Amino acid sequence: MIWLWCTQILAIVRLEMKKTFFSRRGLWVYLLAFAPLLLFMCHSVSVAHRRDQLRQIAAEHPVSREDLSAIQVGMTRDQVAQKLGEPYTRLDRQHRDGQSEASEHSHWKYTDGETDVHLFFRDDSLTGIHRNELDTLPRVLQIFAGVFQSYYLRLAVFFGCVGIFINLFRGEMLDKSLHFYLLTPVRREVLLVGKYAAGLLATVVIFTSSTALQWLVLLWQFDHATVAEFFAATGWGQFSSYVAVTALACVGYGSVFLAVGLLFRNPIIPTAAVLLWEGVNPFLPAALKKISMIHYLQSLCPVSPAPGRDVPGFIHLLIAPVQPATRSMAVVSILVLTLVVLVVAARLSQRMEINYSTE
Amino acid sequence: MSEDRIILDNVSRFYGEVLGVNRVTLSIPPGITSLVGPNGSGKTTLMNLITGLVRPSRGRISVLGIDPSQPQRLFRFVGYSTQFDAFPKGLTGSQFIYSYLRLSGYAAAECRRLTTRAIEQVGLTEAANRKVAAYSKGMRQRIRLAQAIAHDPRVLILDEPLNGLDPLVRSKTITLFKQYAEQGRHVVVSSHVLHEVDMISDQVVLMSGGYIVAEGRIRGVRSEIQEERPMQFLIQCRQPSLLASKAFEQDHVVEARLLPESEGVLVKTRDADRFCRILNHLALAGIDIEGVIPADDNVHSVYEYLIGGEEPTQ
Repeated sequence: MIWLWCTQILAIVRLEMKKTFFSRRGLWVYLLAFAPLLLFMCHSVSVAHRRDQLRQIAAEHPVSREDLSAIQVGMTRDQVAQKLGEPYTRLDRQHRDGQSEASEHSHWKYTDGETDVHLFFRDDSLTGIHRNELDTLPRVLQIFAGVFQSYYLRLAVFFGCVGIFINLFRGEMLDKSLHFYLLTPVRREVLLVGKYAAGLLATVVIFTSSTALQWLVLLWQFDHATVAEFFAATGWGQFSSYVAVTALACVGYGSVFLAVGLLFRNPIIPTAAVLLWEGVNPFLPAALKKISMIHYLQSLCPVSPAPGRDVPGFIHLLIAPVQPATRSMAVVSILVLTLVVLVVAARLSQRMEINYSTE
Repeated sequence: MSEDRIILDNVSRFYGEVLGVNRVTLSIPPGITSLVGPNGSGKTTLMNLITGLVRPSRGRISVLGIDPSQPQRLFRFVGYSTQFDAFPKGLTGSQFIYSYLRLSGYAAAECRRLTTRAIEQVGLTEAANRKVAAYSKGMRQRIRLAQAIAHDPRVLILDEPLNGLDPLVRSKTITLFKQYAEQGRHVVVSSHVLHEVDMISDQVVLMSGGYIVAEGRIRGVRSEIQEERPMQFLIQCRQPSLLASKAFEQDHVVEARLLPESEGVLVKTRDADRFCRILNHLALAGIDIEGVIPADDNVHSVYEYLIGGEEPTQ
């Protein structure tokens, strides 16, 4: 019997493949999944290009990092020039404010190949130093963690699962082709599991591949030695954690939206309710937090995004769980939640009827 | 007995406040059974109930002893060709049949064999590798039929199966149904085209407004209502006036009308059997009878007598 069920599940997955991977209706899922990849790629290309530029300039106007660090506000132009030499770019101008005497403003630029330093002089005194550091590996990992938790999990995977899993039943109801499944000697529970497996295969392939590519694209800007050293230390662990969290998000959200597609004629309202619930999760009491996917998914993320100076407070709340669950607790909770939802959906699928005229 | 029949026991189905079917009690034996009725009379609902696509609000259904709520058992021996003219996207005719056979658990080689056979049976071999989306209406009808018969079911449920078929294919399809019936299988066909029903049915179920109006062999149904609706015979003979006067002497004959241009006599009788015996006597007595044609012993007449205004297509 188990063998028959497995055969039937495989047959359902085969039938659903085209619909889940290549339906025109699902193109936006790819957009959601691969939008961050595109952004990270642009970012990496631009950073790599800028790094090449700065290295070339540094080769022509060599300055050491230590010398650059030694520059302080209040130094004169001569002192700076003596320490660092001529800047690679220099802009001098006269400026008059109202009736006062004209002052002389200068803007000098230096680089050691990694940091672009802008020095601002007024008359003969250094009044401001601005350092534009190119991405460092820890900073890139922080950026990824922030985007992963605030956008990727909360929106991309969430809505991707909405698009794919809800359509498994609801889409076929609208297409009026669901009855073909119900006219075969397949238990409704097996049909449900088969459809879930098909949706899971699609979402896991699409979203984990995007996660992996985003990571690789972000690391691409660094030299081989830095990347190899990182992977030898914690890199593989972080990489596999992100991929696993993405897959678990598909497992959890997939079950919820499969059930939504099965039970509701208009899935927008329940979807909005789930989105709201997951959205307000950081503001809920600890006991209620535990009845959500996002709490456990965030608990499994390997890097907690640090509250950068550019990150608004509420965004930080969204990306960092206050009391994260333990790793094993998080995994078990997601799986149990998924199982409960699927069991309820399987029971309700027994009552499923074909009544296209009301769709 | 129930192992050999499709049984509906006091079955009702409501869609909210809308009546689908009401208090339907039927026992369908092997052979071709036609569900006849106008649009909205409940034929499709009845078929959906038998196949478990909808569940009864009340009552009990059993298909050869199996509850339709167990698709894993039911569709081992039931095939259903619905009226829904939609298909899974992107599949060719043979992929469509093959995929759903695989779902039934058959091995790949067996699925290929059954697919080829089913497609041959409905005459779609040449179009088997074309996308179903590119099929004509008649071809889509046939591929649905192929899907229903692919696993060689003992019970075949067909919702308006002859719609959109050209006369040649229609005739072949009817032959296929007859072959199934001759093999002792159940073929339940819905139709609103009465002359087709007349041609193929062993028994009919007349439906109107969600109710069963009459059921049984068409002649049986006809004789049931001959008190209120006397049966009509068209008798062609050389002495129509004599025959008319002799016939009218019988107390069960309510009308004997001479037809113009010597077409014969139209006789209405409340007892068809006795009238046929009288005709034998008259023939022996020397009246030259050339032909006796039952004029309203068909589904259309029965339907009209029972249901009246809601007339299906003749």
